[in-house]
Amino acid sequence: MIDNTSSYRVKRALGTTMMLVLLFFAALPTVWVLIMSLREQSVMFEPFWESPLAVTLDNYLGITRSEFPKALLNSFICAGISTLLAMIVGVPAGFALAKSRLSGKFYASWMLLLLRMAPPVGFVIPLFLLYINAGLIDSYFGLIMAYMTLTLPLIVWLMWNSFAQVPDELIEAAIMDGASLGKAFILVALPVARPGAVAAAILGFLIVWNDFFYALIITRSSTVTAPVAVMNFISYDSVDWGSIAVASIALTLPILPLMLVANRYIVQSLSGAVKG
Amino acid sequence: MTSKSQSQSTGKPKTPASATADLERGYRMMMLPAVLAVGIFAIVPLAGMLALSVSDYHLIRGTNWDFGFKNFVKLVSDKRLMNSVYAMSILSFLGVALQVLIGAAIAVGLSKIVGKWRLGRIFFLLPYAVPHVAVALIWLSLFTPILSPINAFFDLFGVTVPSFLTTQYGALFAIVLADTWTNFPFAMLIILAALQGISPDLDEAAALDGATRVQTFFYVTLPLLVPAFLMVTLFRFIDSLKHFPMIFVMTKGGPGRSTQATNYYAYIQTFQNSNVAYGAAIAVTLFIVAAFISFYVARLNQQVNS
Repeated sequence: MIDNTSSYRVKRALGTTMMLVLLFFAALPTVWVLIMSLREQSVMFEPFWESPLAVTLDNYLGITRSEFPKALLNSFICAGISTLLAMIVGVPAGFALAKSRLSGKFYASWMLLLLRMAPPVGFVIPLFLLYINAGLIDSYFGLIMAYMTLTLPLIVWLMWNSFAQVPDELIEAAIMDGASLGKAFILVALPVARPGAVAAAILGFLIVWNDFFYALIITRSSTVTAPVAVMNFISYDSVDWGSIAVASIALTLPILPLMLVANRYIVQSLSGAVKG
Repeated sequence: MTSKSQSQSTGKPKTPASATADLERGYRMMMLPAVLAVGIFAIVPLAGMLALSVSDYHLIRGTNWDFGFKNFVKLVSDKRLMNSVYAMSILSFLGVALQVLIGAAIAVGLSKIVGKWRLGRIFFLLPYAVPHVAVALIWLSLFTPILSPINAFFDLFGVTVPSFLTTQYGALFAIVLADTWTNFPFAMLIILAALQGISPDLDEAAALDGATRVQTFFYVTLPLLVPAFLMVTLFRFIDSLKHFPMIFVMTKGGPGRSTQATNYYAYIQTFQNSNVAYGAAIAVTLFIVAAFISFYVARLNQQVNS
């Protein structure tokens, strides 16, 4: 076999080495944050191999006594409600955009993309002024409404792509059989597009969960979300690294299963454009 | 309309034309709530941004109702804006290039792995799940010399790792690295999917024709990956124009102003210097750039789907 030549083996070894180096790059910060979260406060600035037994759960216990769990709850509330609202409005719209023969659909797709890609600072400046005057700063209502600017264009776009993959004949056949458009949508199209809908909801939830900028500008104390609340562990003259490590883990763990479920849909969310 | 379709429609209460019109009306009703919601939640703020950008609104001084394009005139000669575009360009181009390269390398590596090691891809996916604030904090700890295990490790050999965050290019590089760490899995996912979409028959055909593995990769596989590369690059590039949490957490725009990318600069002008009108003008400029790129992406998407 040609495959057993020494040059092939060298290349294989090089490839394996490269993968290991990249694995190290991918894993180092993750391992490090776990180590940091378990270190005692007093040995935080010593190399961990010099005091490997100075392990404690104090950082984890400390977090539960801080304001951070409330901030995590705020994140859940905002991400959940703004995703739910965007799904209620966005799923039928995605279906209609996929199946209607409306002209100008290209411009609709452009606008949806643009809204997803526009710099958030552009949305936040007018919203901030509006909220200051309307007394909506630091309110759940204001924050959830602001997050609709993130979730709605994303969910309409994703559902448009999902419903585009449902064969037109299915809908036509249902309507031929006397079903109303609403029935054809709920009983025929939606079950077929259900995986896409689950993915859209997950991705909508994730985009709000990850948001830092909106929350930084329009929350103050009672509705602060977790990404902004982490910053409280950094004070003017000191940084509570142990708590930061635990908070980082707490920010990631709840969405990790969602991410593992959604990852193959992330590919599909770019539509057929990557099928090659 | 052909006579055939007319004959089919006889005996039904509605002609096909009016049924189609009914259907289209139904579709429009289904779109209506979303159109209204997008109007309220997106178009209104955008119109506000446009109005502010041509105003003289100041967070503390208020406004004298003096409208005009002087904010945009000021933009052209603003050295800090040029500086912010430079920082943004480095963060965007270097970051996206690294993400695509590393993502592609891992995708190619993973596509060769079969059997029980396939689950290994989860390890490469993990960084993508970490929220950006946490990413920024973790990398801030790795770039803090008194804390970082990397510095401690090199100290063992008497090598002092320089403090990255205190120099211009060091700080830019630190942000690029953090951004690359969390976003290479996105590139990896897309390219891996594209690789798996390529029929193995093509590789075999190339091998039968006497092509070496390297030739097959460069002349058969790579050209088929071009759409995936293009999509990843465009999406990551657009996202990189929005850099914020990493700058805010890791450098606060410093040292000096060297990591104040444009989006961050708009934030500084608006919320620190209270210069709302000017911040809005910067945001409008960024928005126009995003409009051009998204138009291109939408066209690309349309071509591929049709």
